[in-house]
Amino acid sequence: MTVNIRETMRHIPEEELHAYLDQALSRAQCVEIESHLAGCAGCGSLRDGIAALRDRTTALLATLSPPRGFTPAIDLLQERATARSARRHHVRRAAAWAASIVFAVGIGWWANTFSRPVSRPVARVAAAVPAAVPAVATHDAPDAAPDAAPDPIAIGSALTGDRAVSRSIASTATPRRAERAPRLVSAPTMDEPPRAELSSGSLPSSDFESTLGGMWRTLSWAGAQHERGDSVPHIDGLPVVEVQVGQAKPGGSRSIMVVAQQLASGEVIRTIEGPAAEVSELLGSRPGSTSPSSPWPTMDTPGISGGDGAMAMRFGDRMLAITAQLPNDSLRAMMRRLNAEMRAK
Amino acid sequence: MDDLENLYQTTYTAVVRFLYRKVWDADRAEDLAQEVFVRALRHRPEKPRAWVFAVAANLARDEARSAIRRKRHLTLLKGDPGQGPTPNVAADDQVEHDERLTAVHGALDTLSERDREVLLLWDAGLSYPEIAEQTKLAVGAVGTTLARARKRLVEAYDRQHSRDHAAYS
Repeated sequence: MTVNIRETMRHIPEEELHAYLDQALSRAQCVEIESHLAGCAGCGSLRDGIAALRDRTTALLATLSPPRGFTPAIDLLQERATARSARRHHVRRAAAWAASIVFAVGIGWWANTFSRPVSRPVARVAAAVPAAVPAVATHDAPDAAPDAAPDPIAIGSALTGDRAVSRSIASTATPRRAERAPRLVSAPTMDEPPRAELSSGSLPSSDFESTLGGMWRTLSWAGAQHERGDSVPHIDGLPVVEVQVGQAKPGGSRSIMVVAQQLASGEVIRTIEGPAAEVSELLGSRPGSTSPSSPWPTMDTPGISGGDGAMAMRFGDRMLAITAQLPNDSLRAMMRRLNAEMRAK
Repeated sequence: MDDLENLYQTTYTAVVRFLYRKVWDADRAEDLAQEVFVRALRHRPEKPRAWVFAVAANLARDEARSAIRRKRHLTLLKGDPGQGPTPNVAADDQVEHDERLTAVHGALDTLSERDREVLLLWDAGLSYPEIAEQTKLAVGAVGTTLARARKRLVEAYDRQHSRDHAAYS
C-alpha cells in the first residue's frame, strides 16, 4: 500500500487511517502518518472516530460468538487425518485393481471377438441338444400320457406362403406345458437371438413340391385343427411356425401334412404325417439325405428307424416322421414322445 | 510443536467463531472447524493460516447450500442449542442479550457478501494481504472495503436497535 502524505499538503484519507489502525502499513508509512497527525487536529479527530468505530465493530462482532467449547487435542485430528489418508490410499489401490481387471477383460473380449471363426448356428445346436434330450425322454413315462391333451399352441397370425417373412408366434400353452417347453430348450447356450425365419431346416421346400407332383397348401394352426382335428402331428410345448398340407389323393385318405415348430435356439423341427409312400418319398428326396438305401420303416419293420436328420415310424399304411438337424438319439427320443402323444389322442 | 500444531492452538477458536458467523450453529461450526484442521494435517499447506480460512469459507459455503437444499435454516435464537442462556446472566439481562444478538445478526446480514466476508476475515485475525488473497481483492482495496463494512455494520445496528426500542416504548 502506497501512502504519500505531505504533512502540510493534504489530510489523510479515511481508508488509510483504517489501515494504519489495523497495523497494515509499513513502518515508514506509519511514521509519515504519525508525524502528520501530530500537527493536524482534523485528522487526529478523524483517527479517534475511526478507532471508536473499529472498537465498536469488534465489540458487536464479539456478541456473535459461539459458546466457548473446548479445543480437541490435535492428536485426535491427526488420527483422523491418518485414517483418512489410509482409506483413500486403499480406495485408490482398489480402483487401480478394478481398472486393471476391466482393461484385461476388455482386451480379452476384443481379442475373442476378432479372432473367433464364424460358426453355423446349426453346429452349436447339435452340440447342445444331448442336454435337452433327457427332458424330452422323461415325458415318455406313462404318467406323461394325460399331458398329451389337445393342443394348446396357437399361431398368432395367419401364415403366408412366403417363408422369408418373419412370423410372430403366440403360445397359449397351459402352465404345465409352458414350463415344459423351457426344459426342452433351455440347455443350449446361444449367443444369437432365435431366428424367426425357416432357414435352418431342410424340409419342406419347393423341391419336394415338385417331387410329390402336387401343390402344397399353407394353413394357419386354427385351419389345420379345423381340417384334421386333434390328429395334427406336432410336439406339445413348442411354438408352431408353419403348417403345410399336400394335395389330396384320390381314395379319400388324408393327405400328407408337415408341421414346422421352432426351438428357442432357432432350430426348426418338422413333424410329418401322411401316407407311408409319400412320407418315405419326401424323406428320401430331402437335399441333405445321403443314404443310398431307404432306411425308413416298412410294414415288416414298423419300429422307429431313420438317419441323416430324420426319424420315422410306421402305422399300417401311414407314416409319422420327424426331421431336424439334431443327432439321431435326440430325434429318436422325440419320436418316442411324439408317438405317445399321437396315441393318446 | 510444529507450525501447524501451533497454528491449531492459536487459531482453532477463531476458525470456530468465523464458521459460526456463517452457519449459525455452534455444534456444526465446531465440526467444520475440526474438518478444516484434519484437512490441513493431511495437506500440510505452505501458507497454513490463509489456507485454513479459505477452506473454512468453502466449507461454510457448501454448508449453506446444503442447508438451503434441506430447507433447514437455523436461526440465531431458535433451534440452536448452542445459544441457550449464558451462565450468570439474569433473566432481564438475557432478554437484552438476545435482542442485541438479533440486532447484530440482522445488521451483519444487511452487508454485501464481499463486505461481510472481509469484515469477518479481519475479525478472525487475517492480515490485509491474506484477506486480499482470499477475496481476490487488491491489497489497497481491503482498507476501503473494511472502512465501508464497519460503517455500515454500526449504522445498521443503530437503526435496528433504535427501532426495537421505539417498539417497546
